[in-house]
Amino acid sequence: MLKKKHYCWLAVLALFAVQSVFAAEPVATPVLDGFKELVGYVGSPFLIGGAWVAVKITLMAMSIGLVLGLGLALMRLSRFKAVSSAAWGYIWFVRGTPQLLQLVFIFDALPLIGVRFDEITTAVIGFALNEAAFSAELFRAGIVSVNRSQSTAAAALGMGPFLTLRRIILPQSMRSVVPGLANDTIGMLKLTSIASVIFVNELTFRSQQVVGQNFKFFTVFGAAAVIYLCLTSAISLVQIWLERIFDHESERRIRFSPLGLRVWQREATPADLPPVETAVADPVVETNDHAWIRTLLPQETRPARADGLPFVACKNVWKSYGEREILRGVDLAVDHGEVVVILGPSGSGKSTLLKLINHLEPLDWGSIKVDSQYVGYREGPGGVLRPVHNLARARAQARVGMVFQHFNLFSHLSALENIMEAQRQVYSVAPAQAEALGRALLKSVGLAAHADFLPHRLSGGQQQRVAIARALAIKPKLMLFDEPTSALDPELVGEVLGVMRGLADAGMTMIVVTHEIRFARDVADRVVFMDGGEVIEQGTPQQVIDNPSHERTRKFLNVVAH
Amino acid sequence: MFTSKMLKLFLCAAAGLLFAGGAYAQSCEPGKVAQKYPSLAGKVIKIGVDPESPPYVFRDSKDFNTLIGADADMARAVFTCAGLKTEFFSGGWSGLLPALNAGQIDVMWDLLYYTPERAKQTSFATYMQAGTGGLVQVGNPKKIDDIEKLCGMTVAAGVGTTEETMARAQAAKCTAEGKPEVTVMTFPDIASGARLIASHRADAMMYDLALVDGLAKQNPQLYMRGFKVLSGMKIGVGIKKGNTDLIAVVSDGLKVMQANQTQKKIFEKYGVDPTLEAPTTLLTQ
Repeated sequence: MLKKKHYCWLAVLALFAVQSVFAAEPVATPVLDGFKELVGYVGSPFLIGGAWVAVKITLMAMSIGLVLGLGLALMRLSRFKAVSSAAWGYIWFVRGTPQLLQLVFIFDALPLIGVRFDEITTAVIGFALNEAAFSAELFRAGIVSVNRSQSTAAAALGMGPFLTLRRIILPQSMRSVVPGLANDTIGMLKLTSIASVIFVNELTFRSQQVVGQNFKFFTVFGAAAVIYLCLTSAISLVQIWLERIFDHESERRIRFSPLGLRVWQREATPADLPPVETAVADPVVETNDHAWIRTLLPQETRPARADGLPFVACKNVWKSYGEREILRGVDLAVDHGEVVVILGPSGSGKSTLLKLINHLEPLDWGSIKVDSQYVGYREGPGGVLRPVHNLARARAQARVGMVFQHFNLFSHLSALENIMEAQRQVYSVAPAQAEALGRALLKSVGLAAHADFLPHRLSGGQQQRVAIARALAIKPKLMLFDEPTSALDPELVGEVLGVMRGLADAGMTMIVVTHEIRFARDVADRVVFMDGGEVIEQGTPQQVIDNPSHERTRKFLNVVAH
Repeated sequence: MFTSKMLKLFLCAAAGLLFAGGAYAQSCEPGKVAQKYPSLAGKVIKIGVDPESPPYVFRDSKDFNTLIGADADMARAVFTCAGLKTEFFSGGWSGLLPALNAGQIDVMWDLLYYTPERAKQTSFATYMQAGTGGLVQVGNPKKIDDIEKLCGMTVAAGVGTTEETMARAQAAKCTAEGKPEVTVMTFPDIASGARLIASHRADAMMYDLALVDGLAKQNPQLYMRGFKVLSGMKIGVGIKKGNTDLIAVVSDGLKVMQANQTQKKIFEKYGVDPTLEAPTTLLTQ
């Protein structure tokens, strides 16, 4: 494979070869002279100065253009029609009109209304406005390529939209955005030559002027090509470097050696990382490891409350998606320290109810209070609930942890970083403290040795245990589990249920949506059976599972048990 | 930077002395700019050029940062005569007229042909007539010594230029007279046009006379001039309409340069035929 650094010399050699083919006489001397002349032009301050003009315009226009482009991409993704249409209109116009005419317009038409820019400023503005339109689409593609579950997980941790964008979405989308941006940068560097029409004397225009004077087009244009190749090679190197940074799936390192830049692709070896297989066989959680979990529970809320109010109170909750009613007047009360398991066929509204409790989704009617507080609502006139302005902060203050069916770990962050993220970014915990808690949590879920693993290197069961540790890191008052073992291979279910059992023993208030009947029977204080958006029956596991009073419950249990 | 400024100042001073010693010394009064052209006093005149057009405006091979040529030297001489400082703005030719109309540059001084269409937006001070040269391969193998001999040949001309119009007119004439047809090729810049002749892709290239002569002189092993045509077109300085002081500066200055032989000397220096000089005329429509 060719090393990027050698491209320049290859180019020189190629031009040298071309020169020898086209030279008038088949003698080596004029070829050699031409070669010397070409090298001389490469070093010409006049041409180098032109290249610097092109680089300067490209750097400034790219910087401004990328900021504008990201803004436009977010506008395009806005749920407000007016905002997204405005962004679309801008992109449609700028992408659809010739850039040369845009430059001439800015330079020569704006003075008519009293706005006068010099040539470099005009070029920077013109190219930045264009780059904004093009990069907006790149950014949008990158953002939509990141799985929605990532932002759901971030929201559940109390992260706001911009924090989620900066810390979770953009780092993951950059991997697909960077190649396009490198294309744009290289294209722009070369395209600055069209700004000669507004008096920008960059490399191409300057070399044309030299050719206009001496007609030595081979050597002068050859020299310009060499300079361009060196500059674009530098851009390509930056691209490689950025791609390595944003590639979260392989353990790659960039190494500098005397021979130039070498990219090493290094697979993790058993020598430095414990293999996944043995990790699965790890003793999951020692029973005496649960003691520490108590230290996580907020002290002040632990004693049973005197007022007799339930810890979680759902009253007459209604929710529909479009025409489809998902929840039809659900009432549910959960006491402090209680473990409630919700059973029910798919589509019965169990998962939706969980998402309403921590306000990942807005409710249509009714009210939900956690620890006597609304999550992200305030009472308006006449007792009507209104969503608060800063929903993310409300979620963070509620301290409701959530575990998802598909784990939803941040795929660009290691296990430890996943656990530290919300502590650091939402609760402003000091780094050392966050790391200490993170490591303690990993140890308690039996994954102390996997702290630096990226999620894709962990088995499903391990990922779910990290997800539980991540939810616990925000010191939750309430834990919601949304089918935490449904996506796991049967042999991995046990390790996750083991951790949940430990949590229940430690006195955590939990609402668990699951199909694990045995877990419900062993761990739950109360079992709630839902169907068709309603609570059909509830009671102790013995009542609901062993002696269901409703036909629908019996049917469901028959299907699940066999 | 400092030294080049010093050099410019020195050149200006030298030029000033030179003109002051001329026969019409009373006309060059660089000290009286405030009285004669009050709106321009202290102003730096922005001269728009496309430095790809030798021998009119091009880069000095000794120092690419310096612009030289018949038009560049004339422009410097005229504004120095009036006591004004100048700055050259180099850009693509097609951007020069729009920039002039927008006020981004003050004058366009670069082989600009007068046409009534252009004069609707721009005032012209003409100082020479246009000549067209036919560049052919050395030795003129096809014996093209007159524009009438182009029938059956392949002719190259700059796209959108007067020469292209002339070539197409000749092509039509050949067809009308029942002679072999003319093939017209167009090129975007002069260097690529010259390459067409060198590579025998075209038999003749029509372009500005001085440029054709310059090419033939620089590359005697490749080219020679086959024929010349005086089209009667006028070449002038473009100045934004309504800028009376600036029009006066250019017009007065050109008259001085023609009277004291400066234009002739400059033309000779750059190999432009001095007989192409034409009395200064102000054309505003």
